[in-house]
Amino acid sequence: MELLAYGSFFLCFASIFAVMALGLNLQWGFAGLFNVGVAGFVAIGAYASALLTTSLGWPVALGWIGAMAAAGIAAFIVGLAALRLREDYLAITTFGIAVVIQLVALNAQALTGGPFGIQSIPKPLSAWLGAGLAWNLAYLALVLGVVGLAWWGLERLVAGPWGRVLRAIREDEAAAASLGKPARRYRLQAFVLGCMLMGLGGALYAHFVGYIAPEDFLPVLTFQVWAMLIVGGSGRNLGAVAGAVLVWGIWTVSGGLLRDLLPQAEQARGAALQVVLIGVLIAAILVARPRGLFGERATVSRHAAEDAT
Amino acid sequence: MTPALELSSIEGGYEPGLPILRGASLAVAPGEIVALLGPNGAGKSTLVKAAAGLVPIWSGQVFLNGRDITRTPAHRMVQEGLGFVPQTENIFANLSVLENLQLAAALVPKDRRGELSKMFALFPDLERLRKLPAGRLSGGQRQMLAVARALVASPSVLMLDEPSAGLSPKLIGVVFERLQAVREAGVTILLVEQNVKAALAIADRAAVLVEGRERLVGAAADLAQDPRLAGLYLGAGLEAA
Amino acid sequence: MLQLLADGLVVGSVIALGAVGLTLTYSILRFANFGQGEFLTWGAYLAVTALGFVVAVTGGGVMQPIGPFSFGWELLVAMVIAAALTAGLALLVDWLLFQRLRARGAAITLVIASFGAALALRNLLQFLYGTLPEYYTREIQIAIRLVPRDVLGGLRITPDQLLVIGMTGAVVLGLHLLLTRTTLGRAMRATAMNPALARVAGVDVAAVIRATWIIGAALAAVAGVFAGLVGQIRPGLGFELLLPLFAAAILGGIGSVWGAVLGGFIVGLAESFSVPIFGAEYRAATAFLVLIAILLLRPNGLFGEKP
Ligand SMILES: Nc1ncnc2c1ncn2[C@@H]1O[C@H](COP(=O)(O)OP(=O)(O)OP(=O)(O)O)[C@@H](O)[C@H]1O
Ligand SMILES: [Mg+2]
Repeated sequence: MELLAYGSFFLCFASIFAVMALGLNLQWGFAGLFNVGVAGFVAIGAYASALLTTSLGWPVALGWIGAMAAAGIAAFIVGLAALRLREDYLAITTFGIAVVIQLVALNAQALTGGPFGIQSIPKPLSAWLGAGLAWNLAYLALVLGVVGLAWWGLERLVAGPWGRVLRAIREDEAAAASLGKPARRYRLQAFVLGCMLMGLGGALYAHFVGYIAPEDFLPVLTFQVWAMLIVGGSGRNLGAVAGAVLVWGIWTVSGGLLRDLLPQAEQARGAALQVVLIGVLIAAILVARPRGLFGERATVSRHAAEDAT
Repeated sequence: MTPALELSSIEGGYEPGLPILRGASLAVAPGEIVALLGPNGAGKSTLVKAAAGLVPIWSGQVFLNGRDITRTPAHRMVQEGLGFVPQTENIFANLSVLENLQLAAALVPKDRRGELSKMFALFPDLERLRKLPAGRLSGGQRQMLAVARALVASPSVLMLDEPSAGLSPKLIGVVFERLQAVREAGVTILLVEQNVKAALAIADRAAVLVEGRERLVGAAADLAQDPRLAGLYLGAGLEAA
Repeated sequence: MLQLLADGLVVGSVIALGAVGLTLTYSILRFANFGQGEFLTWGAYLAVTALGFVVAVTGGGVMQPIGPFSFGWELLVAMVIAAALTAGLALLVDWLLFQRLRARGAAITLVIASFGAALALRNLLQFLYGTLPEYYTREIQIAIRLVPRDVLGGLRITPDQLLVIGMTGAVVLGLHLLLTRTTLGRAMRATAMNPALARVAGVDVAAVIRATWIIGAALAAVAGVFAGLVGQIRPGLGFELLLPLFAAAILGGIGSVWGAVLGGFIVGLAESFSVPIFGAEYRAATAFLVLIAILLLRPNGLFGEKP
């Protein structure tokens, strides 16, 4: 029984991360865009849905849609400014937006509750199911449904003509431009769509935990989602989802171990060590196995793209 | 007599499994000007880049004055005496004309270091423009600077990739006349050219590269008359399309 | 008014130094290094350790301040040691991580790798030193009043702050001479422009890359020590400066040393003048606004040479 409770709790988090990782996979795996502000877009979604459902009393479903819309609008503005030039400017700009969102969350007390965040975020269906295991399982089913829907939708998008153009752009911008497709528009679309999924992930998180605070959206979150994608392997949705489960597993187990092993006074240092370990893991996988565990097998080489023209 | 530069059955390319050079061979005797001709995409640039150490050579050898330099890293080639002027982007646009030359001179051992005054004597324009950022030079001036940059390292063999590209006929004449002077100073020259006529006019011998292999090699004067020359250009063009 | 200017110049000095290092590595190594901020932090902390060591070795265990400053010569020695160690750290990270990714031609992966390396470095530091703020000296400094209160609000500045501004100028001038007068400097600029041509011209690009890491990390360490001297030494020191560093480097135009310096001072001044308008808590957002503005208006920066 306890195992079931713990398992559903763990899987719920893992699936929420999977939604974010799917969004990042669309951006990095399929469009070659590096978003270093994942935490920022997740925060936008989480705060948007939390505010809409608490302050305005909207139903949760509308909150989630609002979360996606808010994250999408932010992504559109950022993408418009940053996708014009060098691709790494996007990394810097998204990093910046995450920093700014963190500042706003901390300091716009009236709106975000400042460092204390927002409490009592409604848990959907809890009126019927209570707050126990039954609710956990139901929410897990709901999140799994979202993961499935996102996966299915992404697979269809990516397999279609839109996805083919996107991959061609990633492989060789010059070749793609000569195809006559305005590369920038496709990348912006992929970026916005990916950020909407991250925003949705944030909303799922907010309504699962029931309270949010700025410290839930620190850069380490960005880093975790990246770790998931890189370990799982970018370019395939399976990689994103499997990576989410695996890295979240490693994260919770190593966190638990460090908590058990270290004395109370050393806990903060233990948490730091945990991030170091995951950082080394990412680096090692980038070096040793750049395609991750389930990454895209055959990349379209630039010559294949040329042949296709 | 050992050739100044010998390329022997070179196979190589940019990406594994996609050979661009398919067994190309070529020898340049000391003091010679050899023209390397061939249709677009034949692999001429790739061949000289491979000799200069910029493109991986999978098999085959490069000899400079009889010494095997196949595995010598690119930045050591200059010290060995092999100079290279690439087809495009062959100057440092963010450095001044003078800095371009100073840098090239400083990177070779003292006994190879050419005098800047000699370069300026050969290319008087450059002396006048020496303070200018090289990016502001005209096409002809750039080409002169690129050649001067390579010469200041006192190469025994100089490879040039289409030095006439984009120049007016008059400027082409000037560049080629300078190359003639360079050869008379004792430098062996391998000249990649699209401009067949101009190249055959100053070359002693020529080779035609098609699909990564030399097809036709001979004295420049003979090749100029050879009906097969045009055929190779045309034929390859048709095959490629 | 004048006081804001002075504060902006002090912060701008730190940003300028860090941004110069960033712009060098950006243009020569060809990727946005998110680890640059951590080199600042590591430099600041390594100087704490080195200072303790130097003070202990030279006997007495106390640092005698020189003249009007809050610190003694020991801190300058410690800064040099910290710069050398930080350079070593950068070389180590390059050897372990970046060099291998470069060799595979996976240039874009470098950005993500540097992001991971930055987090690991920051947390490793936190693991080693803890999170409590550190100081080089506990001396209280009397600020000098340069301009009386009734002229534009007056201006007070500490000798340390003046020294930071002055030394920044000296370091940047030295770097400028290195880049324009020496073969190494010209080779670095040549490599930034065109690595393949640089190799053809005889530049040992691997050596240039090492030199770039050494210079970039040493500058970061000096910036970190300056930041620690005029403020606190905390594990978040460099991370919080990363956005201003990028804004300054892009504002100045990637690869331009004077551009990065000017960008650093502009960002520093913008931050300090934003305080009375938006409040101190949003200070860090200013750099982001500068960044967005420059991306929209002049994406190549003020002195950018090429797109
Ligand atoms: N950097 C590169 N990466 C991959 N393939 C390349 C690269 N440069 C050239 N190629 C390919 O190598 C082949 C030969 O090109 P190369 O430039 O050597 O031809 P060339 O004979 O010099 O032609 P041109 O007369 O147009 O200069 C072409 O098919 C070209 O597409
Ligand atoms: Mg060519």
